[in-house]
Amino acid sequence: MTFWNNILHTALLGTDKATLTPGELGQDLAPLAGQITVLTQDKEERFLQIAALAFNYRQAGAMALHKADAQLSPAPQEESAFCSPEAMLALNDILQDESIPLLAHWLELCRTHYLLVSPDVLHLLLQTGLAHKHLREDILACGGQRARWLAGLNPDWASYTATADSDEQLWQTGTPEQRRHILLQLRKSEPDKAREWLQSSWSQEDANTKADLLQTLYSNTSAADAPFLESLAAEKSKKVKAEALALLKKIPSSQLVRHYTEALRTRLILKKEKSLLGMLSKSTLEIRPGDELPAILTHAGIEKLSNKKEMTDEEFICYQLMSFVPFEFFTSSWQKSPEEVIRFFYDNPQGKKLIPALVLSVVNFSDTAHALQLMQHASVFYLDLLPLLPIQQQEHYSNKFFQSSPASVIQYATQREKEWGLELTGAILRQAAKEPWTYNRAFFNKHIHLIPIAAAGLLDNIKQEDIPPGTAGAWAPLSEAIRKLIHLKTQTIKAFIK
Amino acid sequence: MDLSEEQILTLAPDESSKKAGKDLANPTKWVTKGAGPRALWGECQGSGSKPYQTQVDTNNLAFKCSCPSRKFPCKHGLGLLLLSARQPALFQQTDEPSWVSDWLNRRTEKEEKKAEKKETAAPVDEAAQAKRQQARLQKVGDGIAELALWIKDQVRAGIHTAPAKTPAWWENIAKRMVDAQAPGLAAMVRTLGNTNFFREGWQSDYIDQLLRIYLVIEGYQHLQQLNPSLRDDIQTQIGFTVSQEELKERAGTLDTWLVLGKQTSEDQGITVERYWLFGTTTRQYALILQFLVRGQGAQLSLTPGLLIRAELVFFPSAAPLRALIKRQVQADATGKGEGFANWEELTSATAATAGLVPFTGERPCIVQHLTPIRLGQQWWLKDDKQTIMPVKENFRNIWKVLALSGGHPLNMALLGKERAFEPIGIWHDNQYKII
Repeated sequence: MTFWNNILHTALLGTDKATLTPGELGQDLAPLAGQITVLTQDKEERFLQIAALAFNYRQAGAMALHKADAQLSPAPQEESAFCSPEAMLALNDILQDESIPLLAHWLELCRTHYLLVSPDVLHLLLQTGLAHKHLREDILACGGQRARWLAGLNPDWASYTATADSDEQLWQTGTPEQRRHILLQLRKSEPDKAREWLQSSWSQEDANTKADLLQTLYSNTSAADAPFLESLAAEKSKKVKAEALALLKKIPSSQLVRHYTEALRTRLILKKEKSLLGMLSKSTLEIRPGDELPAILTHAGIEKLSNKKEMTDEEFICYQLMSFVPFEFFTSSWQKSPEEVIRFFYDNPQGKKLIPALVLSVVNFSDTAHALQLMQHASVFYLDLLPLLPIQQQEHYSNKFFQSSPASVIQYATQREKEWGLELTGAILRQAAKEPWTYNRAFFNKHIHLIPIAAAGLLDNIKQEDIPPGTAGAWAPLSEAIRKLIHLKTQTIKAFIK
Repeated sequence: MDLSEEQILTLAPDESSKKAGKDLANPTKWVTKGAGPRALWGECQGSGSKPYQTQVDTNNLAFKCSCPSRKFPCKHGLGLLLLSARQPALFQQTDEPSWVSDWLNRRTEKEEKKAEKKETAAPVDEAAQAKRQQARLQKVGDGIAELALWIKDQVRAGIHTAPAKTPAWWENIAKRMVDAQAPGLAAMVRTLGNTNFFREGWQSDYIDQLLRIYLVIEGYQHLQQLNPSLRDDIQTQIGFTVSQEELKERAGTLDTWLVLGKQTSEDQGITVERYWLFGTTTRQYALILQFLVRGQGAQLSLTPGLLIRAELVFFPSAAPLRALIKRQVQADATGKGEGFANWEELTSATAATAGLVPFTGERPCIVQHLTPIRLGQQWWLKDDKQTIMPVKENFRNIWKVLALSGGHPLNMALLGKERAFEPIGIWHDNQYKII
């Protein structure tokens, strides 16, 4: 539209500096502009009349462009069915509330039922997935062909459609974060292969990357990792060596753990004592001064001097050694059952001091077999043992120790993957009524996936007398918010599971 | 009345009302609830000792609630309507309780009284009225002369200095127009001052608006030479109002109107609601304006996608668009939104409108079988004849349009002019979806 550009040019400069001539307006407008020029002497008036004429000519003459070749390939046909209107209603409410855990739950249900999201909200889901990477896979699965197609059109959503390089390619050429992620995933499914990948590229990695990648081996650590980890003793980087040592401490068959075991064997003795004129024999624990600790153990961090005032130096050395000696050592070398071993420790004043080390050992080796036995005899709450217990037992001990350690129990409860039981949920809700600023709306929003839908009734059970003075004002809106979250969760579950 | 949740939520005055309304769409919140042929009602337990009595006139969508909220509709009204949309089975058809029938009867009586009042209104002192009119014309004439001079000054000096000017520069002349009793011109000048000078191509936007003002004031100065319809347009643009009561006396257009869209804006404490309508039989487009002062209850509640059977009276114009609802016959109605078959039909109609009213603004339209496509750095809408029109720059809901379309043609309701349109609604799976 040259004529319009000429008008703009004159308008910008002003009629004092530029004059619009009819010839600049093209053959359609030029004759009329010529007439205006003749009839109007005032140059501003002349410009305005011509410009008004051109303005109307332009807007009346707007036409669509003919572009037969401009195409957009349509999204492929969907193969799965769309989810119900009730499910979409729940999804809209969740998106409105910006509850990411509920969204994750909704998407998971949608995916497991092989259903698709209605296209109305695909753009919102794709946008949400940008900030919440863990949702992306489910968003693509629930969004179907349309979501992939749509993501391909928006450069901001390129991460959804990035050509899926093979894991091996990504391991070789990806960013440090991508490589770490790939290695961790592989480690979970094929631990030996993951280690081999790491070994093959080891010489090309820098010290920080080595230390970072070594951390992936904490998943599925096994005896097969020991030779590689032991070979890292020659590494220059202290950070890498420290990581390797920490990993070796978790492998019962490693040289390091054997050193710990041998050092403990000479220091912690199960001594037989005779009583009643030699007619009865009784075993008891005894801590003896041992030989000089081998250098490998002092390098691994064993302190020779006690920093606990209730322990002697020898007791303290035993305590440290025990933390990295598997429980089986006691049952096999003493030829006693696990219950008997635990009793020896509880029955002996020195042994009692070493019980926390026994707990640390069980936790270090993820010894689920002995965790429950230790917990059964414990008079204090060992939070670290909880994840090693069967789910019912986790629930049982969480309830048992809730009164004494509410904060610790809640902290662990939030790390669980399975929903809380009703009793535990009730206790947590009562605690929230007491501390509505600690266990606030954001807390429940984050952990709604753990709250059973039957918990709505529990809120009604919280009586006025359960709420300390001064917190009632905060608890009322909080309980309403929790109720709403539970309602949304119920709505979601009902929409999928009929 | 069959409203979707999305449609109900567009009635909400703000985001917090939407949220609160959703919370109340829960059967446990309602002590009683019921429905009848004329209304929907319920009692909601709030923070007060007595439950709030909430009622919705379902024939001529209207709300009433005994809660103290100054929002309209309040969260209880929205919650009740949402609950009925989600779980209609909960609302048993029963007789209206007295508090509902009283309200509905009062509404009917009020309408009747209004009509009666009109009949018995005091006679107008025509001489005084003519005198007042003359004085106003004089003021408007003086104001227009001042505005013309202001425009010419800009043209002489060039508009390149406009971006450097402070908003007061436009506001001063706008205030002069208010003093001159030409509020329409004042609004046009404010729009001119609101030009986005940071946008590439602002010069064209600025000149367009400057020329619109020029055309209006030139038209006013040659009013007697123009046809009566265009005269009405010019007077409306200047700010001469038309009595709505008088307008309602005129014959209207009875049709089933589809509410295409709703736009809300706020200016100087006044909320302006724009409802875009389409007559499914007459294929006429209409704009209903509602002005709300804070705290004032809305008289009209329409929601996009709703079909209403109503008689509309259009404001006098060479290309009528603005209208008011003279009477609403019933809320339930059926009709199809079939608009222009392609861009060519639309541009022909637009050219005709521009010929009649050269300073017209954005208008709604329905165009069939449009497919969004990407060309260059822009999104376009392609019709069956393989012609394309650009989508408005930075149209943020393009991704929703694309998601619904999936690259397939859809009928769309659009808002725009010349060569920039934005979809406001889409027919997807035989449902009207708000964009």
